[in-house]
Amino acid sequence: MNETLSLDSLRARKARLGRYVGKKSYRVLQFGTLGYAVVGGWLAWEGEQLAYLAMSLALICFALEQWYQKDLSVLPVRGASLDERLSGEVIGRLSQRYPLTPLSVWLALSTHWQVGFIMNHLLLTSDFVREFASSDEADMPAIWQRARELADADKSEAIEPGHVAISIMLNSSHLIAVLPHLKLIDKDLVEVSGWLSRLLDMIRLGKPFFGGIGRDWANGFTPMLNRFGQNISLGIQSSGAHFGTQTESPGVAAIEKSFEQGANTIALIGPSGIGKTSHVHALAQRLLEGKAPQTLQYHQVVGLNPSVIISSAQRPGDLEQIVLTLLSEAVHAGHIILFLDNAQLFFTNGPGSFDMTQILLPVVQSGAVRLILAMTPSDYQRLKAQNSAFAGLITPVMLTEQPQEQIMDILEDTSIGLEHQHNALIAYAAIREAYRLSGRYDQENAYPGKAINLLTQSLTHGKGGVVTPQSVQEAIEQTHGVKVSSATQMEADQLLHLEDQIHERMINQSRAVTVVSAALRRARAGVSSPKRPIGSFLFLGPTGVGKTELAKAIAATYFGDEANMVRLDMSEYQQPEDVKRLLSSGKEDTMSLILAVRQQPFTVVLLDEIEKAHPNILNLLLQLLDEGALTDDTGRPVSFKDCIIIATSNAAADKIRERIEQGQELETFEKEFTDQLINSGQFKPELLNRFDEIVLFRPLKPEELAQVVKLMMKGINQTLSTQNISVELTDAAIAKIVEVGNDPRLGARPMRRMLQRAVEDGIAGRILRGETQAGDHVTLDVADLSV
Amino acid sequence: MFLAVGFFSWWYSIGWVILVKNVQKRLSNTLAMFSVPSLMRTLFAPWKRIVTNPGAGLSAHLSAIGDNMVSRAIGFTIRLFVLLAALVSMLLIMAIGIVQIVLWPLIPLAIVYGLVMAL
Repeated sequence: MNETLSLDSLRARKARLGRYVGKKSYRVLQFGTLGYAVVGGWLAWEGEQLAYLAMSLALICFALEQWYQKDLSVLPVRGASLDERLSGEVIGRLSQRYPLTPLSVWLALSTHWQVGFIMNHLLLTSDFVREFASSDEADMPAIWQRARELADADKSEAIEPGHVAISIMLNSSHLIAVLPHLKLIDKDLVEVSGWLSRLLDMIRLGKPFFGGIGRDWANGFTPMLNRFGQNISLGIQSSGAHFGTQTESPGVAAIEKSFEQGANTIALIGPSGIGKTSHVHALAQRLLEGKAPQTLQYHQVVGLNPSVIISSAQRPGDLEQIVLTLLSEAVHAGHIILFLDNAQLFFTNGPGSFDMTQILLPVVQSGAVRLILAMTPSDYQRLKAQNSAFAGLITPVMLTEQPQEQIMDILEDTSIGLEHQHNALIAYAAIREAYRLSGRYDQENAYPGKAINLLTQSLTHGKGGVVTPQSVQEAIEQTHGVKVSSATQMEADQLLHLEDQIHERMINQSRAVTVVSAALRRARAGVSSPKRPIGSFLFLGPTGVGKTELAKAIAATYFGDEANMVRLDMSEYQQPEDVKRLLSSGKEDTMSLILAVRQQPFTVVLLDEIEKAHPNILNLLLQLLDEGALTDDTGRPVSFKDCIIIATSNAAADKIRERIEQGQELETFEKEFTDQLINSGQFKPELLNRFDEIVLFRPLKPEELAQVVKLMMKGINQTLSTQNISVELTDAAIAKIVEVGNDPRLGARPMRRMLQRAVEDGIAGRILRGETQAGDHVTLDVADLSV
Repeated sequence: MFLAVGFFSWWYSIGWVILVKNVQKRLSNTLAMFSVPSLMRTLFAPWKRIVTNPGAGLSAHLSAIGDNMVSRAIGFTIRLFVLLAALVSMLLIMAIGIVQIVLWPLIPLAIVYGLVMAL
């Protein structure tokens, strides 16, 4: 389609005139109509000739006022051409005095509230976009075409200022190139366009009509229901609330269809947060608007809360009497749908709940009143197990999570309400972040509830009333105890020099350090799968060569603290029943892996001597490495996606030592060695294949052990620094310690004991004898060592 | 020139149609505001479903029929009054609407006439 715009057309002139007249002039015209009419009437009464003039002026004002109100200010769309489809708000702002270019159009529209909405929610400024808008008239056809496509996608009759503004932004390749630096992509612009369009629809919709004065005269009185129940329909009627896209959701349609097909009791089943209550509110709105099937029109939804009923029961038997009266009123009224939210509270005895199955059963059996029971899948299963006869009378309507696009729409629409209530501004990026982070860290609730909860919590973290992605991160850090920002703010150069940082506390094992660092860089750069743990490694090698030390170094450098490590000795998990211990939710075993990771998701999980674990536990490990999640003994999932999983094994350590002693390099026999591990049956191939890397550790040479000694001396000096004493070993002393302490089977492990004996004991004696005092620097030679 | 063309072309075409539609809309709003379809459907129904269930025996039966007749009579009377109010309102709206529709095309002529007479 050739998209050209003529600013000479009658419609364009009307739009400009409408903008010129404006609302203030309209008020003047209204006042003029009234004023001249009164004056004209008075003059006519007096028999004055001027009465004709006054009445003519009154009619002129009236005619112009009508023209403005019904034509100039609204300028309805009357055709498909660009001239006819562009909103009056757009063409009214365009001038013939200068050529139409992206820049001139942007400048004309930039003060419109729709553009303000877009800029605010994208955290951009009008001046910023202006820098990227071209001054080439030839760009305009493409912009009009894109704006038309956006309007079509939003099912908007008119091409609104928002569509044109987004189109100008999308048309600028330079702006699109810069967006990623602002953590935005072009798709976000299109999404905000849709958000604005839905807001416009809601504004135009106005307050819905709910049935008139005689609506309920054919229905019975409900005094007890008015007292104990919450009339959701009347609440919607008085607040004029809109449930927008929810009213057209498949869930609401399924409830209506079930009622229409003769079901009287419906169980609305879905996980917490999926929107069971809001589905019922949306249904109530449709019933009031008369949009529901004829048999349900103008029915009212009344919610019952067991706590309110229980608190009103003074004597034994009161409870049953109240419930019977409520049910009887609902039956008699004829237009009540009872809604039992958290329905399990009506089927169990306990604090704030009571079992009324026996009272409800005859009502449900007879179908005398319509009921909606909201419950989670596990509650529904429990009800089926406890009372299959009752459950058999219920028609289940399963609510499943909607696609991401719909959830984002719900979040955007909800944000408008939150902004209004809290006088805040919620950036689009914050909504997207709430979707992402709640999905990642809130495993217990479903969308959209969990993201809405997070957004609501983020309001208190907004700076100057603006909720940004950082506000959302702070909110989730506070509520879930996770450290989102520490994980995401890790500097790129820090990652690039991960090897150097690890080597500050590890001697050699360059191959292992390089392999692990590369895997972690891949994960942080987003190259590896986000659905699996950050990294998973199998460390193979003899004792005392630095496997655990490397795990600690990773925890310290990647997660900021060596303590961010869960260490499990798998030799303690050799029995089939040990699986339960591993998956305990924490109620019985406060040391369980699940509990540790739930409390601190950013952690290194070190599984020592993995080959000793029971095969059932190795199967669990397969699931963990594959899906990045495990489920605890209560059925709640826990994410391992922010963990680094490290399994260690001494398997075939002797063979590694043999090969190294023969002068071979690790790289040359890595593959062959892995094959041998599989062939020997020590590890299943499916387990080995799931690790990101299998890392071989080589035995340490004497010169490397000397470096280990120096490193350990740093630790000793750090301890002594509180007493202002420092110790130094001569090279000969270090060589002596290595010579005495070297045991190829145990690696660096004996070095610690050697230093304790040779250095720490000696220094302790000196301090006690008063030979060494604060401020002293002690140099120990071979003769000074107690070896 | 544009002002005159724009104004008169709208006044004698779309403007007039909008006026007719507005009158129609006012009538349908009044119909809905008084719940006319609902009241017509339930004209003889008992008032707020207040009914007496017949007990045993003829006299109890007759008494229940009497009570229910009273309930229906109350319901009928109230609904009838509301329906009459709706009818009056609608007639009024219709009359005003017809006058508006008839006068609409005459307004520009009346302006010219008034200005001429004032001179």
